[in-house]
Amino acid sequence: MYYIILSIFFPIFTGVYLLFRGEMKNRKNLLTVTGVFFAISAVLVILAICMAGNNIFTLFCLTDRLPILFKIDEVSVVFSIMTIVVVLCAGFFSFAYMKHEEKEKRYYGYYLIVLGVLIALCFAGNLITFYMFFELLTLSSMPLVLHSGSREAVMAGLKYLFYSLSGAYMSLFGLYFLERYGNTLTFSAGGVISADMAAGHGGLLLGICFAMLIGFGVKAGMFPMHAWLPAAHPVAPAPASAVLSAVIVKAGVLAVVRVVYYIFGVSFLRGSWVQYAWMILTLTTVFMGSMLAYREPVLKKRLAYSTVSQLSYILFGLAVMEESSVTGGLLHVLCHGFIKAALFLCAGAIIYMTGKTRVEQLRGIGKEMPFLMWCYTIVSLGLIGIPPTGGFISKWYLAKGALSSGILGFDLIGVVILLLSALLTAGYLLPLTIQGFFPGADYDYGTLKKKEPPLMMTVPVFILTVLSVAIGLFPQMIIHYLLRIVEKIM
Amino acid sequence: MSLVRNFPAVSILLCLFAGIISSGLKKRAAEYVNTILIFVAGLLSLCTLLYILETGQMFVYVMGKFPAPWGNEIRAGVLEAFTALFFCIIMLLSLVGGRKKLADEVEEGKTFLYYVLMDLLLASLLALVYTNDLFTAYVFVEINTIAACGLIMIRQNGRTIEAAARYMIMSLLGSGLLLMGICMLYDLTGHLLMSNIKEQMKWVYLAGHYKIPMLVTIALMSVGLAIKSALFPFHAWLPDAYGYSTVSSAAILSSLVSKGYIFLLIKIIYRVIGFEVFYESRIMDVLFAFGLMGMIFGSISAIRENDIRRMIAFSSVAQIGYIYMGIGMGTQAGMEASVFHILSHAATKSLLFIAAIGLTEVSGGSRQFIELTGSAYRNKWAGVAFTVGSLSMVGVPLFSGFISKLLFAQAAVQNDVKMLPALIVLGISTILNAIYFMKTVIRIYTPVEEHKYGSMTFKDMKLYVAALFSFIILNVALGVSSQPIVDLIGQGLAMFS
Repeated sequence: MYYIILSIFFPIFTGVYLLFRGEMKNRKNLLTVTGVFFAISAVLVILAICMAGNNIFTLFCLTDRLPILFKIDEVSVVFSIMTIVVVLCAGFFSFAYMKHEEKEKRYYGYYLIVLGVLIALCFAGNLITFYMFFELLTLSSMPLVLHSGSREAVMAGLKYLFYSLSGAYMSLFGLYFLERYGNTLTFSAGGVISADMAAGHGGLLLGICFAMLIGFGVKAGMFPMHAWLPAAHPVAPAPASAVLSAVIVKAGVLAVVRVVYYIFGVSFLRGSWVQYAWMILTLTTVFMGSMLAYREPVLKKRLAYSTVSQLSYILFGLAVMEESSVTGGLLHVLCHGFIKAALFLCAGAIIYMTGKTRVEQLRGIGKEMPFLMWCYTIVSLGLIGIPPTGGFISKWYLAKGALSSGILGFDLIGVVILLLSALLTAGYLLPLTIQGFFPGADYDYGTLKKKEPPLMMTVPVFILTVLSVAIGLFPQMIIHYLLRIVEKIM
Repeated sequence: MSLVRNFPAVSILLCLFAGIISSGLKKRAAEYVNTILIFVAGLLSLCTLLYILETGQMFVYVMGKFPAPWGNEIRAGVLEAFTALFFCIIMLLSLVGGRKKLADEVEEGKTFLYYVLMDLLLASLLALVYTNDLFTAYVFVEINTIAACGLIMIRQNGRTIEAAARYMIMSLLGSGLLLMGICMLYDLTGHLLMSNIKEQMKWVYLAGHYKIPMLVTIALMSVGLAIKSALFPFHAWLPDAYGYSTVSSAAILSSLVSKGYIFLLIKIIYRVIGFEVFYESRIMDVLFAFGLMGMIFGSISAIRENDIRRMIAFSSVAQIGYIYMGIGMGTQAGMEASVFHILSHAATKSLLFIAAIGLTEVSGGSRQFIELTGSAYRNKWAGVAFTVGSLSMVGVPLFSGFISKLLFAQAAVQNDVKMLPALIVLGISTILNAIYFMKTVIRIYTPVEEHKYGSMTFKDMKLYVAALFSFIILNVALGVSSQPIVDLIGQGLAMFS
């Protein structure tokens, strides 16, 4: 049981330790120490998951009615495993990548703190605990955005902060009301809103729920509060952008899952205006994100816009509140996590080896680093949703759920927009592959040099690629597990 | 009669005597006397608090054994003793934190006067907290004003003299209004002791006489104390007074002096006028509205500021707005939140002032943001402390600021009419706070290429770091284990009425 606490606070304390200790003599020592910290954190998380059972661990009480407590359930398991895999892969990737950046110690310090806070979010057992670590996540991930210290980074960081805090306050607003009108803030599958409460304050509760959705949706880049994401994600160092774009935004998704399925409950929200408004917002975001990504010439920014769009796939699945759509959404959490991390790491490796950032500069990149670009192509196909990758399965379930939901209008329009956006995804991801491998007749093969990045970079990308394909090849087990969650919360 | 019952009176007299003795002492000796004095006063308050908690009821101490309607009384309940203890702690830490800087700020020959003024200030604060007599309260309000003026002016440069003059004028206006209010109250009821006035007030109120004079009285007293505690729009004196005085003075003025007046106002509401009468007068709504405006305009002024000390000063205007908003809510919960915010703001604001001085010290004494870039690397401890203070101000969980906001919001949700404006303004103000405090934090943590200024090491500033560290602990303690303190406040307010 204490593994829960250890798995949360070990990374946080080691991160603080790294921040405060003096400069290390050489880089190798720092990397060894950080690597060991990463490994121990991973082991602790796995131990925590295995040993958890049904225990609730109360850390302390903020006030009598607001305890800080942790509990591990199936949703925590899904999110925490995704988190630890991506964070570790990107972490080891940074060992090579951060060679040309300054202030490495500070970077790893905050990186570890972010890891601890993310795990805490996954394990949080009630809304106040979740809110607390949600705020800490914003604050601890901001230094990663600010890392370069340039004016652009500072402006992006402030934007990130401003949006996140506004969002957090909107959700806090809901928390105040729930604390007064709800009996408990503890997450329980199926919601805690009782029938007579819903009857008495129905309209108010729906309003609160909508405020919380928008508020937590900020982290997940949901329209209309998405503008921070394309600004903040690309300015961070590439592995940090991978974590931001693949995992930290998922904290917003997790928040939405908790609020909708564990506080308000499906039966309360299904068919209400909140559901419709939420679906409209997500579909808008899906389409808009893809369009913006399609028009964006800078690779990392393009990937960030893609995150905006893809996350709303997940949110759409959750908004439909149909068994298979929720399954698809949760599966897409995993797929998108692995794929987007791999894509950002690829972009990072390209920047590291060539210093090029814009897509049109990358002609012939596939000839220079064939292995990396193969990985890029495979995960791109996954994001578009072409079998046999994981993305196909998740989008299949999403579409199936939308069709069978029978919500007039949304079932068809939803699927059409999902398909359209998939086309756009192909349109913004594949040009790099095409130009990379087929640079055209006028390409000067004479200057071509093999520039495959070091193993420390290719291996994490490869692992993520394999995982994203494996989900597509052997989906049964995961789907089975996810269906178990869905059964509980519906 | 138990010995402990003498303690409140003894602590006030002790402060007055220490002030008199210190005026004949050398610099060092005055400093020692002052430190020991604050320590002893704190200890006496602690004993009083424990005694009251043990007996479970407040006690009244009759000065010179003249009985009730004529004599002068001191009254100690849970809240009084606790506030006195808290004020002593904050004052001690602020003085310790600013001690090193004091040598540069105040002329060598005048340092002992600084401590004389501090002794008198503490005496007046304790008296404001403990007294049960309105006229005594007025006398100590004036002593407080004069001591505070001296503390602003003792750092001799042009700005402080101007600031002190402004403070003097505004403050005297405030105490004038208060005095008029007290006079009218005396006219209405024929008493000066708080408990007697309240009894008579109830009669007058129930009989329905003197409706308009009563309203005027309440308005005069509230506005008078609001001016003195810098409620928006009466805050014009504040930024200069806090911005240019010595750092300890700024910390103490912002976290204790203005809070002393607010405490007196709360006392007047409960112990003199009576909560119901005050509630009926609708002055509460006015305070509520001005509180809300202060929360927004204070923060906007702070955002526009380019000087770190003045920025923190303007943030005080916003925080005072929070407190008045809580008072204006007109509920028990709102009042509890306000009292908690008095404590939380005192712990945070003095931390920020003391941390800011460490940052300016390693930036060539300049307080402009442009020079402060990267100062957190040159003075690590001050950087960390400033960050903690900022986070608390923004209202991040784990720090005291979050609990105050939570309490304010909980109080707001209980009041159907005031709920929406309170919550919306609370949200806007949170975000505005975040803008200017986080901007500053990012600024002080932005690395600079050229190293113009030297850095400070731990050895140079052991006492300073100790003070900062205690402040941080105080802040986190208020943020993490707030429940006992909230209970204590509730108990204290219950003893009031």
